[in-house]
Amino acid sequence: MSTADATLVPITQRSWLTPSRMAGLALLGLLALFALSGPLLVSVDPSEQDFAASLAPPGSDYLLGADHYGRSMLARLAYGARLSFGMALLTVATAAVPGILLGLLAAWRGGWLERVLDLVSTVLLALPGLLLVLILLAFAPGTFGPLYLGLALTLWIEFYRVTWVTAGGVLKQPHVEATRLLGFGTSYILRSLVLPEIRPILITLSAFAMSTAIIAISTLSAISVGLRPPTPELGAMIVELLPYYAEAPLHVLMPGILIFLLVLGLQLATRSDAR
Amino acid sequence: MNAPVRFQALTVSDLAISAGTTTIVRDVAFTLAQGRPVTLLGASGSGKSLVAHAIMGSLPTGLSAQGVIKLDGEDLLAGTPAQTRARWGRTIAILPQEPWLALDPTMRIAGQVDEVHHHLHGFGSAASSDRARADLADVGLAGREQAYPHELSGGMCQRAAIAVTHAAGASVVIADEPTKGLDAALRDGVVERLLQEVEQGRLLLTITHDIEVAAALGGMVGVMLDGALVEFGPAEQVLEQPRHDYARALIAASPTKWPASLLPAAGEAVVSACGLSKRFGERPLFDELSISVRRGEIVAIVGPSGCGKTTVGNILLGLVAPDRGEVERTAGMAPTRFQKLYQDPPAAFVPHQTLRQSLGDLLKLHGLDWMRAEASMERFGLGRELLDRRPSEVSGGELQRFAILRALLLDPVFLFADEATSRLDPVSQKDVFAILIEAVRERSLGLLMVTHETALAETVAHRILKLG
Repeated sequence: MSTADATLVPITQRSWLTPSRMAGLALLGLLALFALSGPLLVSVDPSEQDFAASLAPPGSDYLLGADHYGRSMLARLAYGARLSFGMALLTVATAAVPGILLGLLAAWRGGWLERVLDLVSTVLLALPGLLLVLILLAFAPGTFGPLYLGLALTLWIEFYRVTWVTAGGVLKQPHVEATRLLGFGTSYILRSLVLPEIRPILITLSAFAMSTAIIAISTLSAISVGLRPPTPELGAMIVELLPYYAEAPLHVLMPGILIFLLVLGLQLATRSDAR
Repeated sequence: MNAPVRFQALTVSDLAISAGTTTIVRDVAFTLAQGRPVTLLGASGSGKSLVAHAIMGSLPTGLSAQGVIKLDGEDLLAGTPAQTRARWGRTIAILPQEPWLALDPTMRIAGQVDEVHHHLHGFGSAASSDRARADLADVGLAGREQAYPHELSGGMCQRAAIAVTHAAGASVVIADEPTKGLDAALRDGVVERLLQEVEQGRLLLTITHDIEVAAALGGMVGVMLDGALVEFGPAEQVLEQPRHDYARALIAASPTKWPASLLPAAGEAVVSACGLSKRFGERPLFDELSISVRRGEIVAIVGPSGCGKTTVGNILLGLVAPDRGEVERTAGMAPTRFQKLYQDPPAAFVPHQTLRQSLGDLLKLHGLDWMRAEASMERFGLGRELLDRRPSEVSGGELQRFAILRALLLDPVFLFADEATSRLDPVSQKDVFAILIEAVRERSLGLLMVTHETALAETVAHRILKLG
């Protein structure tokens, strides 16, 4: 649309809440409810064993059945969801905050600071992310700290690079020059001009980073270098239950389905509207 | 040419364009015939571009067209979207505004014409490259086939875009502001090319706010105001003896017809520079340039595009550092009292903020009162309903007046107008300059204007500095 006749066209407000976002947010809400209130409602210890109920099918005494040690699947899934979700959230927050701040700083100041940051991020980018996590995990296997640190160290680079490039593009535009001439300071320009323009892309990036973190945590636990049993971690649960696939296939699938739903919810909730 | 189908006439009758229940364009009727082009004149925001989009079938979402648009008996509005799309380029082509943005910057122009023959008409690669060469020779670009768009002037890019429409075989050509941003010499070249289109039997609809273009094209001229066609007739009649008030105002708005502005004698210098030199890479822009702007004075810099006019202004504002030379500004003045107006009004506003937000933030920052802003808005003819729109939803003329309002709120002593009216229609241009001249007179503002229109500079400025 040419701007020539812009004033004639009535303004339309595009709704922020598209159907796909609504579905994603609803799904995430349900999962959060399950993760937070599940343990309260069931009030069963996820590590309490009851060998009489080993591999009990869903619907018996246990709503979603019990695993090979007779532990409640419902309780373990709720704890697992809470763990995955919480860890992913913490990891992404730790990666996003410095990543975005450094990106803004590099775009704003330029010069040697930009070159140093660029070098550091390129070096880290050249290291395979998984390798970094494995090296750190070698110091303290099976604990949360190194896993979290390693993931955050690989994830911040994306936030830094995207912020740096997009903010740099915005800062070159004439309206930034005009705003500065009108007497506005740096904080106003970053807060009101740059941030609103880079927010949509950062939200999408956060969702991708969360998905990456959830899947990475589960994957590492599944190959027994992340969190170890008996921690109710979704990836570790799959591996623990795998030998009993023939007797109880549904039990093996349940943690996988939960991971799938978490990632799907995140992607739907942050999907940009396709015009 | 690929067996060109030549149409006899395109008839538009009772055309109305509505957004939901509001009608924004109504009662538009005209006929494009062989050898009789139609030119639509009007202010920005008068609906002339929407008429072009209605014919093309490319109205923005949410808008719909009613009425009849007949091309030799076929109703264009009645077709399915697929039929409409099938006509794009093949039957009706629109020449883009600022074609250097519409051409592929990474592809030589011969390739851009060639691909149309190859992919659209299915010619072999040898045949299509021969045809591409012939098409380019036809628009006077023989020998420049291997050039990239950035190596060509604006007028040459416009001709390359025309060659692409020839290759597609379009017989109805809609030129939307084909001369926007071009200086007089390039403009005449484009007009001459459009006249050749008419001679070759194509139907031509031109949308412009340049009266000289309308006069040179001849044929029929229509004047649009607020979404209605207020005057329509043969070019000589409309341009010599307009009947409608607005048509008269539009024709009287040419800078050569403005009354001389009486300005008081200039005061002391607000900003002066001497011995300025600047080069971009290897190319020197200017050397040993001296300039000063005094209070209550209008200084114009004129010259062809790319000669460094804008850079001079930016150096005076302190936005660009000169390679050599000194800039001296009146001591003790706040930096916010040196302001700039931009060529493209929407570019100077934050795209996602409504005007209410951006104005509100400015008033809050400088501790100014809303009442003062509202009083100026009324004086500049800006309605309050504009406040809730974003910059892209306001016409260029209104937005530029808003930009002046914004700058004047800070009580400037120096204002740099960088081609501030080159994208505006004559009436808006006249309004903008009326406001600027008044500000110069009332507030002893020093105005530095950059323009490629010599006539405008001669009418308005005290002193003219020629560059390039």
